[in-house]
Amino acid sequence: MIISKSEFLYRAQMDQETLQVWISEEWIAPQGLETEPVFSEADLARAGLIRNLQQDLGVNTEGVGVILNLLDQIHSLRWALSSKLKAAGDDGNS
Amino acid sequence: MFGEVSLRDPYEILGVAKTATPDEIRTAYRKLAKKLHPDLNPGDTKAEDKFKDVTGAYDLLSDAEKRRRFDAGEIDASGTERPQQRYYKDYAGSAGAAGPRYQNTSGFADFAQEDDFLAELLRRREQQARRAPGADRLYQLEVDFLDAVNGATRRITLPDGGSLDVTIPPGIQEGQTLRLRGKGAPSRGEGPAGDALVEISIKPHKFFVREGDDILLELPVTVSEAVLGGKVKVPTPSGTVMVTVPKGSTTGSTLRLKGKGVARRDGSRGDELVKLKVMTPAEPDPELEAFLSKWTPNYDPRRDMQS
Repeated sequence: MIISKSEFLYRAQMDQETLQVWISEEWIAPQGLETEPVFSEADLARAGLIRNLQQDLGVNTEGVGVILNLLDQIHSLRWALSSKLKAAGDDGNS
Repeated sequence: MFGEVSLRDPYEILGVAKTATPDEIRTAYRKLAKKLHPDLNPGDTKAEDKFKDVTGAYDLLSDAEKRRRFDAGEIDASGTERPQQRYYKDYAGSAGAAGPRYQNTSGFADFAQEDDFLAELLRRREQQARRAPGADRLYQLEVDFLDAVNGATRRITLPDGGSLDVTIPPGIQEGQTLRLRGKGAPSRGEGPAGDALVEISIKPHKFFVREGDDILLELPVTVSEAVLGGKVKVPTPSGTVMVTVPKGSTTGSTLRLKGKGVARRDGSRGDELVKLKVMTPAEPDPELEAFLSKWTPNYDPRRDMQS
């Protein structure tokens, strides 16, 4: 599912300048080129999370970056753990 | 922590007194939201429900008017839910990241030194990032009516100066997208290039109209051709053909030219439907007028209209 920049801005209810800032902070990492980025539904969900952090939870700019970094580590850890558990399960070990 | 919430009393949900100030309400909400936000608890399957209760309560009590009406008993706490939100964790899911650029193995890279299985996972991730394909690129192409019906090859000039040869399959429809493999953006690593996606729009034709697999054509004919019949040249998408107009035709008579319509994938073609339109002369024709003034029609086109 490819989302163009204009559709992304509309659905995330944000402006071009804010998106540029988020991309330079590496909070959102679209595929594609700088001149024509392409976004996914996952990027939209990530934008929603950033909004929640800033507006609902009162997290400041520096905090958002730290949280996203840790969250990405958590997701990779969960993946590694569930892969390991699945492999152990398949071996018949507990 | 939440157990059975009594009929969803928003004050109870947020843990504030009925006399709480707006600041106290926001502070209480933030404290709970920080703990309960589903993306901050990716492994908690009940997180979304708990969070929904809290945001619902906050939306109700943070709105002065709604709070007043609730306190007065005019409205209840139901219907306060926000529209369904997809959380980032729904996408990160089993792949451990919602996109190759959000992967972060720093959390367990050290364990991989002691564990073959984890080392393999780590290696695969790094390889995936290197091998990730380039992005797809989106283009729009406006195509002539006959190129769409018959098929064609056209060249698009790209913004960066390059060009792309696009094969338009016969019978392509308005809005269809063609995928050209490997013609998109190059990969950041060593992966393959992405694809070019070309969205097709079709220019209308001066006199052909498409209806599914058929072509519709309104063909002007002279009075003589209609009354006496005769051979006329008729345009079709695949060239001009001679067609016999039957004697005694009139406006609306339709002739079907089999196989002269839109090409289909299997090689067959639809039909062309030619609807006749009898035209009287545009310029005055004294000879015709002289004849008609002496001619009595033996038919009444408005017979069925007597009121």
